[in-house]
Amino acid sequence: MDPGNYIILSSILFCIGALGVLLRRNAIVVFMSVELMLNAANLAFVTFARMHGNLEGQAIAFFVMIVAAAEVVVGLAIIMTIFRTRRSVSIDEPHLLRN
Amino acid sequence: MIILPLVEPPPIELPELDWLLLGPMALVLGAAVVGVMVEAFAPRSSRRTIQLVLTFGSLIGAFVLVVLAAGSGGPVMASAAVIDGPALFLQGGILLVALLAALTMAERHVDPSGDAFAARASAMPGSEDERQFTARGYLQTEVWPLFLFAVGGMMLFPASNDLLTMFVALEIMSLPLYLLAGMARRRRLLSQESALKYFLLGAFSSAFFLYGAALVYGFAGTVNLGGIADAVTAQPQMSGLLLGGIAMIAVGMLFKVAAVPFHSWAPDVYQGAPTPVTGFMAAGVKVAAFGALLRLMYVAFAGSEWDWRPAFWVIAALTFFVGSIVALVQSDIKRMLAYSSIAHAGFLLLGVIAVTPEGLAATMFYLVTYGLATVGAFGVVMLVRDDTGENTAMENWRGLGRTHPWLAGAFALFLLSFAGIPLTAGFIGKFSVFAAAAAAGEGWLVLLAVLASAIAAFFYIRVVVVMFFSDPVGDGPAVAVPSWFTRTAIAFGAAATLVLGIFPQPVLEWAAQADIFIR
Amino acid sequence: MNVYIPLLTLAGLGMLFALFSVSVTSLTGPKRYNRAKVDAYECGIEPTPQAVGGGRFPVKYYLTAMMFIIFDLEIVFLYPWAVASDQLGLFGLAAIMLFLFNLTVPFVYEWRRGGLEWD
Repeated sequence: MDPGNYIILSSILFCIGALGVLLRRNAIVVFMSVELMLNAANLAFVTFARMHGNLEGQAIAFFVMIVAAAEVVVGLAIIMTIFRTRRSVSIDEPHLLRN
Repeated sequence: MIILPLVEPPPIELPELDWLLLGPMALVLGAAVVGVMVEAFAPRSSRRTIQLVLTFGSLIGAFVLVVLAAGSGGPVMASAAVIDGPALFLQGGILLVALLAALTMAERHVDPSGDAFAARASAMPGSEDERQFTARGYLQTEVWPLFLFAVGGMMLFPASNDLLTMFVALEIMSLPLYLLAGMARRRRLLSQESALKYFLLGAFSSAFFLYGAALVYGFAGTVNLGGIADAVTAQPQMSGLLLGGIAMIAVGMLFKVAAVPFHSWAPDVYQGAPTPVTGFMAAGVKVAAFGALLRLMYVAFAGSEWDWRPAFWVIAALTFFVGSIVALVQSDIKRMLAYSSIAHAGFLLLGVIAVTPEGLAATMFYLVTYGLATVGAFGVVMLVRDDTGENTAMENWRGLGRTHPWLAGAFALFLLSFAGIPLTAGFIGKFSVFAAAAAAGEGWLVLLAVLASAIAAFFYIRVVVVMFFSDPVGDGPAVAVPSWFTRTAIAFGAAATLVLGIFPQPVLEWAAQADIFIR
Repeated sequence: MNVYIPLLTLAGLGMLFALFSVSVTSLTGPKRYNRAKVDAYECGIEPTPQAVGGGRFPVKYYLTAMMFIIFDLEIVFLYPWAVASDQLGLFGLAAIMLFLFNLTVPFVYEWRRGGLEWD
């Protein structure tokens, strides 16, 4: 199996995630897209670790998972607080700031 | 079928821990952990006192340790971080900024119902719960551990010696700030929206940083900055992986420092976040992120300088022009300061583009002066209030210089320093960054930057004119009488701005001695 | 072949234990069938075609899930440590203990502040 294929897959995943952030309007979906981008980076790290034959990339993937989990906790807390006030998680609707 | 050979793995080298060099970070992060325990066990009435002692104790202690460690240095934690001259200088700067910001955060005399943070961040805005919590005088003391975690992340960020540590430090710095941004006592919806916006865009940008790090790892086979530098010099031809990696890492970093075109979050977040947090964020994040950006560009990517310099050239020019021009039409003080900070990011990028020791020293000096003045300026913004909270509409600041000369004088001093008027610290900082960039052969860019500074000076001085040379509004905002917390912060910021403007030599020399990154 | 004998023995023991415990419980356990017992999830959620409240779950599930994520991911660091613990020695032990302590701190915070109370 050519490891290059995994790099291509990871870049596709990253682009899907980035487009999701830019195009979707639901905060939860935007947030899931960000997580997809992080996981795409993880796939790239693990693949490059395999290509270079060192373990650094795999260890990095662990750390990224932890950071992603912490980000989930903080992100969901913020989104939940907003949702409880507005009963909606659309990022178009809040526009107090766009004056 | 693969049969794994039963060989002894190579011995693991255990990292050396140099506690003098790690001390400042360990102290701040340790105090944050203790702070969480305090939240769990201490009775409500004593929490604030304990947290204040912990916060100020650890910040001052860490600053003393930084001063003690000055002059020494080297890689720590198996080269995951390197505490060298620039790292210590910037850590000292971050700690000073954090101390002033903590003073403004501790203020609870300007708002009749408490400090700048919501009584319970989890209570729904406008609900009966919220009203009761406020009436009982609850304080959200969790802000202190969060604040200390952010400070710890900021200190690690410019000292990181590999891309992974940098990413982790970036997140330790950012995650608490996302939460703090959403905790304002007044205008809570605005605050929560700004937190959401900051979070989504911040997470987006750190994903870019991470993917860039993955590409650079693919190129170099290591995430260690020195190792990347070796790989860059060993392979002179263009590499898509390296260029893509540098570009994506740069996007992530430029998001954090709010450079155009990645600046759209800054005005909204600065406006919505509680003002002490805005000051801390504007100053601390800029110092930390520019420190990390400098280390990246000077250590890891200096070998491919000719590939990234043109792009940074364009971004710097765009940043200082957009920041200065859009600030002209702002009618809200906080938004104006936000655009001013965008313009400053542009000026600071000149020091990154220089890639010389002089550029590094000048940028570090600029960062510290900018940070101290910024915290002070937001400290003043906290005090001009009406019944609904802070009054940041510029027309309401008319005549402030006549009614409150000291306060308006301090604010004017900060603005003049931002504008780079001689005899203020901002002038020395701007001058040395411009001189370093010109010496590195960026004459045209410096010319553009001077032009942008002139535009920027116009709107800073407009505020000064509004404050001192127009009549006070009849039923304008009142100026709250602060406790000594905020007084100290503003006075220290103003004194530093003035002293560093008149006698900059000792600090400039310290920065000049600390102008080499250890690999 | 000798290398595989312990493995095969272990697999055999595992299967025996599984068979034993399943059959013993089905023979000796009390048999009270009621509506709750035959539900797919005995712990409470009724699997209806449309989830209650328009497909929304109470916020508490998210809170629990968030907590689970944090405390679950510790294993990511514990496992590599356990594999190399003999080489890492006292330094590794001290580091992992510090890590576990730091992980316990938010847990204690959560417990003291009532985050673990379901109602």
